[in-house]
Amino acid sequence: MKRRMGLRWLVFGVAAFVMNFPVLATVVTAFKSPGEVTRNASLWVEAPTLDNFALVLTISDRLNIYHYLYNSLAAALIGAVLPMIVAFPIAWAMVRRGLFRQVLFPLVVNLRALPLIIFAIPLYLMYAAVGLLDTRLGLGLLLAVVNLPLTLMLLVNAIAEIPAELEEAARMDGARLGTLLIRLVLPLCRPALITTFVFGFITAWNEFLFGLMLTTRDAVPMTVGASFFFATSGGGVQWGVAAAVMVVAALPPLILGLIMYRRISGSMVAGAVKG
Amino acid sequence: MAEIRLEHLSKSFGDQNVVQDVSLTVADGEFCVFVGPSGCGKSTLLRLIAGLEEATSGHVLIGGNDVTQREPYDRQLSMVFQSYALYPHMTVRDNIAFALRTAKMPEAVVNSKVAEAARILHLTDYLDRKPAALSGGQRQRVAIGRAIVREPLAFLFDEPLSNLDAALRADTRVEIAQLHRSLGATMIYVTHDQVEAMTLADRIVVLRGGRIMQTGTPRELYEKPANVFVAQFLGSPRMNLLPAYQQDGLMKIVGQVNGFAGFSMPQPSTDIARIGVRPEDCRLVDPTEGCITGKVQACEYHGSNLHVVVATRDTGTVSVLAPPGPSVGFGTEVGIAWSAQACHPFASQGDRL
Amino acid sequence: MIKPRRLENAILAGPLVLFLLAVLGFPMILSLIYGFSDTSFQTLSAPRFSGLENFRDVTTDADFWQAAGFSLRFGLLTAALECVFGLALAVYLAPLIQRHGWIVAVLIVPMIVAPAMMGLMYRLVLHEFAGPLPYYLYHWLGWSPSFLGPRNVFATVVAAETLQWTPFAFLLFLTAYQSIPQDMREAASVDGTRPWRLFWKIELPMMMPTVFVAMFIRFIDGFRVFDNVYTLVGAGPGGSTTSMSIYIYETFLRKGEIGKAMAAAILLFVSAFVLLSLAQRMLNRADR
Repeated sequence: MKRRMGLRWLVFGVAAFVMNFPVLATVVTAFKSPGEVTRNASLWVEAPTLDNFALVLTISDRLNIYHYLYNSLAAALIGAVLPMIVAFPIAWAMVRRGLFRQVLFPLVVNLRALPLIIFAIPLYLMYAAVGLLDTRLGLGLLLAVVNLPLTLMLLVNAIAEIPAELEEAARMDGARLGTLLIRLVLPLCRPALITTFVFGFITAWNEFLFGLMLTTRDAVPMTVGASFFFATSGGGVQWGVAAAVMVVAALPPLILGLIMYRRISGSMVAGAVKG
Repeated sequence: MAEIRLEHLSKSFGDQNVVQDVSLTVADGEFCVFVGPSGCGKSTLLRLIAGLEEATSGHVLIGGNDVTQREPYDRQLSMVFQSYALYPHMTVRDNIAFALRTAKMPEAVVNSKVAEAARILHLTDYLDRKPAALSGGQRQRVAIGRAIVREPLAFLFDEPLSNLDAALRADTRVEIAQLHRSLGATMIYVTHDQVEAMTLADRIVVLRGGRIMQTGTPRELYEKPANVFVAQFLGSPRMNLLPAYQQDGLMKIVGQVNGFAGFSMPQPSTDIARIGVRPEDCRLVDPTEGCITGKVQACEYHGSNLHVVVATRDTGTVSVLAPPGPSVGFGTEVGIAWSAQACHPFASQGDRL
Repeated sequence: MIKPRRLENAILAGPLVLFLLAVLGFPMILSLIYGFSDTSFQTLSAPRFSGLENFRDVTTDADFWQAAGFSLRFGLLTAALECVFGLALAVYLAPLIQRHGWIVAVLIVPMIVAPAMMGLMYRLVLHEFAGPLPYYLYHWLGWSPSFLGPRNVFATVVAAETLQWTPFAFLLFLTAYQSIPQDMREAASVDGTRPWRLFWKIELPMMMPTVFVAMFIRFIDGFRVFDNVYTLVGAGPGGSTTSMSIYIYETFLRKGEIGKAMAAAILLFVSAFVLLSLAQRMLNRADR
């Protein structure tokens, strides 16, 4: 009755290794000295060193990684929290009152499938006119749009799970709409809010195109900043340092994602299937 | 059809012993019911026979063959699930035919077997519908159809009537009994409902805490329960248990009426702790006659009888099923009497003497 | 006198509607204007209406059609591969995952890394001097393929995208697979159904809706790919890996042909919208 677990472990090992190969290679390279990088291209590091990380984590003329990290953090926070604030009231109205349900819900949800570069160009022009170009706020606003569909969907689902009787009981106790929403519905949505935040944060942090188009210097996020290290102008790429930069850049969403993976895998499914 | 034998079968989940050293033989063609309260291990026992659970120790033999290590699909059994487990994307016809097609039978044979099963179960009009378009009772019959069409060595039923409403349950019970008579098949049936057990079984196996409490025909279990648990499990309202003791070679009830002598003992013994009496064996009499007295606490009119609950001084509340007549008022002093043959003596550990 | 309920609804819906109007609605109007005008970065505030000229430029541009072809092939191929691998992994590893849930965490790591970062990481992996893959291929098999050369570059970007996003399909299918009622499998098993037939005739048909959804989503995502292709190879040798999004990006920022870029974007929007409506209608019919 043993279901051949050994073979399954093997398949898992191979799949995990192959799919994560780039990540592994990058992490390994980050520990190689410049000399070893050119000499030894295998996955086995002969003389591991922390020099690359030291270089990356100290502020210099060439690189201030904290600048990029800060930009990413600010923009991602806006991009994750703003949709929640905007969508929460109307999510409630959609579930309890069917407000705009037929029209707005599909509209917002379908945003997901539209190539967002369509909006990036006019937004660029609009930002240029309004002075939002190369600002964290400007980037954050657009990231909020990207996260809006999934946020709305998850919140609608979460609110639909709350039994209507609870709200009726609160109303009998004298609660007006504001109190109802903030003191009853919101706390009950906590798990969904956490999931939405984590997923939105990771998505926002990982965004590249908009960062590329809408920022030049002040608000450049980590994803774009890392790509600067790969500009093959002149003497070629310093792979060890570049790898260290990428490790640092990929770390925040990775840590967040792995802590919460049980939750976000559920939300990914919800986002996909309901759409 | 085949005989099913269990030898010292045990199953534990971690440190929870769900089935403990169960040995049992279900004869070829017998309708055997596993009954007991929830958590007694009856479903697990059925699943062990089916091969859906792996035994921790012991053997399962079907038709003399040791199948303990075999996968479910190699045991040639059929099972009807509580939730019917019909394949939602297939029609009724395809649901029933599925196993036959697995066995690579020629299509003509498949069609005739399906048609026959549909005829027996009155499903001919529904063959081309999908399960979602059927009622609960119809789905149940499709599940049974799926089982009988394979002509397995034995049928396993896991609480098949639980999801039906009361009227349908009674009708389907009769149908299952008829099915057993016409097929002559070995059937093992799991339920928590003692009425189903009593009415359907050739033999009942009462389980509790993973162990067999008693096995026997419905009559044997009802008229001669081997222990307190079986005595109170079968029969509604439950058998009354009265604290008792032995004196001068007679069995006496604690706090019994002064003029009452006691019951003669079936065999000499010193370890009487309780005497059981079924409510229908009790009679309401004048407080000065009878074995014990008390005050009427409740009187339920059931149409064909009166269920009277009497609160006694030393023996708790006692139920009496009286013939239909005028109701007895609350608080009335009454006496309760019964014959010596109606006594079920039990020792302190709960076993019958 | 506005009824209190109407006012409440307005307040509840207000934030979303205003947000959408400001951040999306207004740019939509702008894009329509610029799509039909002749503009450059210098004359931003004074577009000159030029009718369908931009659209003509776009549809006669060979690069546009090459990009469209690339996006189409890329989207279809990656969606198909991801679904096949994702399905196989989900179904085969499901018994293992039941007991060791952490397996899922390891397998979804590629999805959590930014696609742009992934593209850069693949650049490292495939590099002739610093990359492990050429190293091992040469040492063990004596191969020295040019991953980013014109013959192999399409396969390379398809492989990169597939390997990163297979976990997404895997997750979708795993959830669908786990939601099949266990007693259905048990019923089939007692009935004599062996594992392969169980999968093919019972489990897979029950997962078909998910298969469609997964294919559709991954196709859309593959069609509008930008990040990892751009960071890995950019426009590619001879523009061969220019996706639709990269084409629009380059036309806009590199060449400054605003009107043309907008026209391409509008065409892309319309086709995506049509595709989406078709898919919605198909899903609605399938539900029934």
